[in-house]
Amino acid sequence: MYDNRHQWARKIGFGFGPETDLPSSLEMWNHNQLNNKFSVIGVSNRGAEPILWPSEYKYSLEDRIKRADVYTREKDDIKKSKTIKKEDKKRLITKVRNETDVSKLDIYRFWNSAIYGEDMVQQRLTHFWTNHFTVGGSGRRNFVLGDFIYRVIHGNLKSSFDQLLYEVTTHIGMLDYLDNADSVGEKSKAFYFAQKRGKTVGLNDNLGRELLELHTVSLARGYTEKDIRGAAKVLAGWGVNADAVIRKYKQERKNKPGWPVSLADFIAEPYFRDRAEPGYKNVLGQKFPAGSKALRKLTDMLASDDHTARYLSKKLALHFIGEGATDEEIKIIYGAWKKSKGDLNKVHKATLEVIKNTRSKKFLWPTTWMFQAIRISGADMMPGFSTEFAKKSDLSNEPREILKELGNSFWTQRQPDGYSEIKENWISTEHLDRRIKMASKIFSAKPKRSGEEIAEILDFSDKSKRSIKMAPDERAKFIIALCSADFMEV
Amino acid sequence: MLTRRHFLSGTGAGLFLSGYPVHGFTKEVVSGRIVVLLLEGGMDGLLAVPPIGDDNLLKQRKALVASKALKINPLFALHPNFKTFSKMLANEEASIIHATSFPYTGRSHFEGQNVLQGGLLNPFSSKTGWLGRAMGIAKITGKAMSLQAPLIIRGATDYDNFYPEHLRNAELPSAEVLKLIQDTHEGSIARAIDKLRRSPKSMGGRRGSARDPLSLASEAGRSLREVDGPKVAVITIPQFDDHAEIGSDTGHHPELFTLIDNAFENLRNNLKEQWANTIVLTMTEFGRTVKENGSAGTDHGYGSVGLLAGGLIKRSSVIANWPGLSTSELYEKRDLYATIDYRSVCAACIEAAFGLDHDLIAEEIFQDKNIPRAYTHIFG
Repeated sequence: MYDNRHQWARKIGFGFGPETDLPSSLEMWNHNQLNNKFSVIGVSNRGAEPILWPSEYKYSLEDRIKRADVYTREKDDIKKSKTIKKEDKKRLITKVRNETDVSKLDIYRFWNSAIYGEDMVQQRLTHFWTNHFTVGGSGRRNFVLGDFIYRVIHGNLKSSFDQLLYEVTTHIGMLDYLDNADSVGEKSKAFYFAQKRGKTVGLNDNLGRELLELHTVSLARGYTEKDIRGAAKVLAGWGVNADAVIRKYKQERKNKPGWPVSLADFIAEPYFRDRAEPGYKNVLGQKFPAGSKALRKLTDMLASDDHTARYLSKKLALHFIGEGATDEEIKIIYGAWKKSKGDLNKVHKATLEVIKNTRSKKFLWPTTWMFQAIRISGADMMPGFSTEFAKKSDLSNEPREILKELGNSFWTQRQPDGYSEIKENWISTEHLDRRIKMASKIFSAKPKRSGEEIAEILDFSDKSKRSIKMAPDERAKFIIALCSADFMEV
Repeated sequence: MLTRRHFLSGTGAGLFLSGYPVHGFTKEVVSGRIVVLLLEGGMDGLLAVPPIGDDNLLKQRKALVASKALKINPLFALHPNFKTFSKMLANEEASIIHATSFPYTGRSHFEGQNVLQGGLLNPFSSKTGWLGRAMGIAKITGKAMSLQAPLIIRGATDYDNFYPEHLRNAELPSAEVLKLIQDTHEGSIARAIDKLRRSPKSMGGRRGSARDPLSLASEAGRSLREVDGPKVAVITIPQFDDHAEIGSDTGHHPELFTLIDNAFENLRNNLKEQWANTIVLTMTEFGRTVKENGSAGTDHGYGSVGLLAGGLIKRSSVIANWPGLSTSELYEKRDLYATIDYRSVCAACIEAAFGLDHDLIAEEIFQDKNIPRAYTHIFG
């Protein structure tokens, strides 16, 4: 595979388009892919040359939070209004949503980066880690998901796992998704006052459980319910739901005169001391003191656990190498993890080294497959982003809908274990129906490479080439090429 | 999980399972239908079917008990959102299995779902599902009403899935082209494309059809009604994984109860005369903690409840070996104990619908010959 640059770029990225010069040195290209800082690019109009992604379309978390607040307040006003007709309410709420929610542009960026971005390997790694740390989409969380993906996940690819883990765990999207915003320490002040008012509050262990099971050590570590409770106690006090941040912030300022925390600092560390559990907590035999600093100690401990290294080395291998990844291959990634103490850049580099020599193939996720198909064929699938901001609602919603149709969108509600790395979980008549129809749709977007050309550059098997040759027309040849075993698995 | 000995010797307020395997039992004609409602995320069984006769219920739970639960008998009531299901109970076409679970106590959604669907006790040890294996032995077809083909149905020699697509301006190519695509593949992909080629998804005006669980239940009912149609359907009802403010009279969990209830209704209405030959059963990976967690929700637990309905049931009942709700009676002092192995319920459904022998089901499908036979208590 390493002999064929096109195939190599597919194995670890999205492949080379018809107008891309092939790298003269793959070693250098690999190095640059992992280490360089690339600009975000995209097309302003369908078929146009990619340009820099507009800076005004890069939203800070603070901006997103403010937008979520505006949307929530205006939506509530519309709902409560006695002067607005019932039939107009839904339309007005949709209008406010379109003016405030930037997830449509986040999704445009997601597509553009995959199809035109020069950092294809970093994009694939971003998809991997975004899936590993699943935050299910929802009305309010969609406001902040773009920040989670682009700033936290993509922004930490060259960082260390402990840093990534901490930033993920304390992100408002994650704290919201896994219910930690509702968790109250059972010896906390908030608990005491709630009891006095006859209100039921208490510890919610959802994030604590998934932090152990899914994000770090996995069930193989053999932890107990007490460990989960201990983690939940460390986490108590952290979090606020995405649409309530501004309201809570204002409340805090009102209740605590002279409170020096800025909104940006508050969002970066959404910690409520009155909800936090006082005293020491125990997790996996380690003691954690009271206070917000304990969470970093906990995530650091979990990040450095041997089971985390084993679990994530295997998961990386499954994602990029496939189910046929050998113990030896996984061991090399694990070795790099241990030696570098979870330095992600070194772990990713070791993963690439292993992939160079592997014989295993991975059945591609539907979105990876689709982005590769668009990129390699040079089809003009992507609608432009040039619409004026005031008319952002005019932007086509099709990119969002397609991800959802393929059953592989980061902007939909789903279970926290994320999308499967197992081939059989992606095989059904409905899944294949969508891929085949999608291939036909890509052909309608005027690809610059034919099915036969794709088969040629990717060294398809004789079997696939024979099927393509027998096809009645160019569309059929193109569809067969994209839906062949040679293209679906790499 | 109790062993067979415990299973048979238990005492409590419900009906007890006490059947024994009957060797060689088969029906001559396989005409039944099975519909599985997969309740993904762990349904709170104590909220769905509160044991109102257990004094410890309100001691353990302050809020998460429906205020106007429908009383079934001195011990159990039904959440009022199960309106249709309660009528089915009254009509002798529904039953409830309480304090039940697959023998899995790990409290992980993903292991639990795998055990529930795979049917083997060791998580992730099977590439096929218990229902798929049963379909394979009974030589019948089935349909999963989802984008994926879930594990539970895999293993059958012939199954399909249904989940209408909403792609704009996208057409499936001709059967000839599909055959050429199929020729490049092997194994399950080749089989799936072959099926697609023989019955293209664009046929029958399905494009743009609704794909919420209720619409899918209606479609499943219509499919299963056909004489030569599938005999099995699997419908997923997601989002039970709710740890905060799940609701007692109203709220998220009660809304999901309404959804389940309406799914039962849609299935019955669309199965029409075939409802008489059908058993619908709910399955969830685990129950929830007996106590609330403080954020007006419950956390991952063990024992839960199973709801069964369909014409194959001849006499309604609540089947339970009630373990009690005092703290000392709870599993690890936090969860409802599961005293009925839900595999025996699934086995009874297979026996009733497909006429397979219990011993065969236990040994070949669940790979555990010690699963008690529950057929006579549910379908007798």
